[in-house]
Amino acid sequence: MSILANRDTRAVIIGGVAGVNAARRMAQFDFLVNRPLTVRAFVYPPEEGQQKEIYRGGELNNVTVYSSLGKVLEENPEINTVLIYIGASRAYQSAKEALDAKGIKLVTMITEGVPEKDAKRLRKHALETGKIFNGPSSIGIMSAGECRLGVIGGEYKNLKLCNLYRPGSFGVITKSGGLSNEAMWLCAQNGDGITSAVAIGGDAYPGTDFVTYLNMFENDPDTKAVVIVGEVGGTLEEEAAEWLSKEIRRIRVIASIGGTCQDVLPQGMKFGHAGAKEGKKGLGSARSKINALRAAGAVVPDTFGGLSKAIKQVYQELLKSGAIKPEAELDEKLLPALPPSVQEVMKQGDVIVEPLIRTTISDDRGEEPRYVGYSASELCEKGYGIEDVIGLLWNKKLPSKEESEIIKRIIMISADHGPAVSGAFGAIIAACAGIDLPQAVSAGMTMIGPRFGGAVTNAGKYFKYGVKEYPNDIPGFLNWMKQNVGPVPGIGHRVKSLKNPDKRVKYLVEYVKGQTTLHTPCLDYALEVEKITTSKKDNLILNVDGTIGCILVDLDFPEYSLNGFFVLARTIGMIGHWIDQNNQNSRLIRLYDYLINYAVKEERTVPDKR
Amino acid sequence: MAKILEGPAMKLFNKWGIPVPNYVVIMDPDRLAQLGEANKWLRESKLVVKAHEAIGGRYKLGLVKLGLNLEGAVDAAKEMIGREIGTSVVHQVIVAEMLDHDEEYYLSIAGNRDGCELLFSNKGGVDIEDNWDTVKRIFIPLDETPSIEQITEAALEAGFIGEVAERVAKIASRLILCFDNEDAQSIEINPLVIRKSDMRFAALDAVMNVDWDARFRHPDWDFKPVSEIGRSYTEAEQQIMDIDARIKGSVKLVEVPGGNIALLTAGGGASVFYSDAVVARGGSIANYAEYSGDPPDWAVEALTETICRLPNIKHIIVGGAIANFTDVKATFSGIINGFRESKSKGYLENVKIWVRRGGPNENQGLAAMKLLQEEGFDIHVYDRSMPMTDIVDLALNA
Repeated sequence: MSILANRDTRAVIIGGVAGVNAARRMAQFDFLVNRPLTVRAFVYPPEEGQQKEIYRGGELNNVTVYSSLGKVLEENPEINTVLIYIGASRAYQSAKEALDAKGIKLVTMITEGVPEKDAKRLRKHALETGKIFNGPSSIGIMSAGECRLGVIGGEYKNLKLCNLYRPGSFGVITKSGGLSNEAMWLCAQNGDGITSAVAIGGDAYPGTDFVTYLNMFENDPDTKAVVIVGEVGGTLEEEAAEWLSKEIRRIRVIASIGGTCQDVLPQGMKFGHAGAKEGKKGLGSARSKINALRAAGAVVPDTFGGLSKAIKQVYQELLKSGAIKPEAELDEKLLPALPPSVQEVMKQGDVIVEPLIRTTISDDRGEEPRYVGYSASELCEKGYGIEDVIGLLWNKKLPSKEESEIIKRIIMISADHGPAVSGAFGAIIAACAGIDLPQAVSAGMTMIGPRFGGAVTNAGKYFKYGVKEYPNDIPGFLNWMKQNVGPVPGIGHRVKSLKNPDKRVKYLVEYVKGQTTLHTPCLDYALEVEKITTSKKDNLILNVDGTIGCILVDLDFPEYSLNGFFVLARTIGMIGHWIDQNNQNSRLIRLYDYLINYAVKEERTVPDKR
Repeated sequence: MAKILEGPAMKLFNKWGIPVPNYVVIMDPDRLAQLGEANKWLRESKLVVKAHEAIGGRYKLGLVKLGLNLEGAVDAAKEMIGREIGTSVVHQVIVAEMLDHDEEYYLSIAGNRDGCELLFSNKGGVDIEDNWDTVKRIFIPLDETPSIEQITEAALEAGFIGEVAERVAKIASRLILCFDNEDAQSIEINPLVIRKSDMRFAALDAVMNVDWDARFRHPDWDFKPVSEIGRSYTEAEQQIMDIDARIKGSVKLVEVPGGNIALLTAGGGASVFYSDAVVARGGSIANYAEYSGDPPDWAVEALTETICRLPNIKHIIVGGAIANFTDVKATFSGIINGFRESKSKGYLENVKIWVRRGGPNENQGLAAMKLLQEEGFDIHVYDRSMPMTDIVDLALNA
């Protein structure tokens, strides 16, 4: 048996994320004691209509969120309990509605920081409606083997350690939420566990009191003794003492009262729960509560630590008198284990999951990212640059000093080519239309293809092919290209020619050939090709795309990665253009009519639709 | 419980029609001289100057000066502002009109579980404690308002006579309105004075507590509550409060000078029991501390470092009940970092650390704490099987 919450309890939680977490905790208990889901619905207007995933063991349940308690009860008439876990400013209204709702017998509130006046009104309203309002600031109510309301009881492992899967003989009533857990543990460790445990909350004016629940426990034949954890402030403990001394009670009472330290502290120095405030002239002091309870016949040890002994002693006495009949302990191994998550099982190596993707370049699972094994900060510290990171992430190799210098220079000379080219112009048009940076730069990026910037990859690819298939036969290569590809990518320029060479090409070639020791078969081959093509036509020179493509192939980058250099370099330029346009607050661009040749039909009448 | 200073209380009285003397709150004595040019009452009335701070026993400390003219008030303000009293500094003074009066009354209201209680006496003033048997009480049930006739009748019973009784009843009815509408927990006016020549009343001094949890429905509360611990907060306490205001969960600290047992305890209920256990076993606490509601580890680390710096401590009690949802491993990692940091700065010399805790991830948390032994900490670690406050017994017997 139990009080307040039992196997018939069906609850709705009023509240958002915190409420859902509470429901998940409650479902763990439902699984432990093999009962149906306690939480049947949520009320949280901002998420009306959503479903919340609640696991009862391995069984997935979807619990609906409603916009009002009225709608919940219309569709779920079996609900008899409301758990409130909503912000303090809305807690009063929610609890009042709950107390007014037909079919609701118990309202318990986890919300903390509820104004005192609201709590007082709710208490009064509950008394008038004949219902129980538990809280505010209550961690919940636990009935061993039957029902968990709220997050009381902690994690799953603790539920087992405290024997909460089956009823014992002790009731627990505490003001503090944390100590409700401790008290349940003490009852399991030193006795046979609990029937029910209630946290009434540590506020100044809780909705219920010790006497409310002492009466309930007195009427619950399975409860033989009750552990009370009270504290300084208010008179609830004194009232409990009065209840105990008024007539002969069936249940034994064990108590611990916090706040005796306040006798010796400097005047006015008070701390602990909101309700833990001593009144004038020692009213509600911990000492007076202890004295009253002891006088009434309760066992009150002088420290909280003494509760263990006190519970053990009472338990032994109750065993001796036959009030409690010892039952064989359940083998804990028979209790269900909470199904672990995939991550947990994998950690233990009990399951194999085929990975969805594979990476060979980068790992962010440590304290910082590692690129092909090297930590980013160490690369920085040892003087490596962005060009080395490119080498690592694109080609899984740390470039040599000479190689990385070439990579750096390639990016530097390719970073921008003025506003007129397709990429930059695209980004500028987007910037002028008020488009954000990532989208505007993407607009420029979409221009990169066969006609704009795409030649690097193909130049590298075909010159590499030439080196391999026609090593000493340039005319053979050119012939093959003519038949199979067309013009040689990387050869030819619209403006530049032998007499008017491209400075960037000249610079790059001179640098690579003159100042490095690199072996450059592909570049050498392309220069040989150029000799032949320029002899046919003056402007069929090796252009910048061809030069870069060949050098990168010589640096051992796979040919399909070569376009990346252009994309990366131009991104720098396009971001620059976007920032530039924004700085100038540029206006929306529209083409002037005179830049358009309207090669269209004359205006004419639309024929009737047939 | 949030006590508010006289200035904001006077402002609320004004709002609800409870008569108050003219007053100003100032930080700069020169400003007072200028206010004097603008306000006749400052030039023509006798004035009282009081330190506008949460400092107990102001009169004895010379922080209340009576019967001054404007010049005297400026001098008094100059003398008070900047004075250091223990850990507090006087930043503001309240300057009020000192009403010549014939009689002093007592009027107060305080909440209780079922409503509130209105108290009055026609023998107010400093001797009210001695005249406590003259105090007349009326219980006012929650959400009910006594009629003016009922209050007048009670006032008559309390010894007020004729028109005075009627006027006192009227002020009392406004006090009830103020109490109800401002989410007050208690208001004490002592003295409420009367000048019979023109039947002028004024609340000369007031102590008011408001429910700080209700501040969400009081947009005009432009004040902050004063310290709840009977003195102003220390720098360390203020730092922890600032962290507390920023985090999920909470961290709290109150310093208790002179003690040698430091507390680094979890949970509002358990922490008080740890303090009790120290006192019960004849020890003296160096502080009260509390972390709860699964605070982030860095906040617990900051609390730990602050506690390690407390002077003359011999033991640190890292205690707590079996947590419902505070992650023991995470909060302990904050404590461990705090201990390491403090040790590297030379603290924790000859300090014994006692640990008892349970809750989510308790095994990992306790194991990590135990490993500190290998780093030379004098640390003793116990799990849930150790009765909660018994580590205090062990510490004091060590």
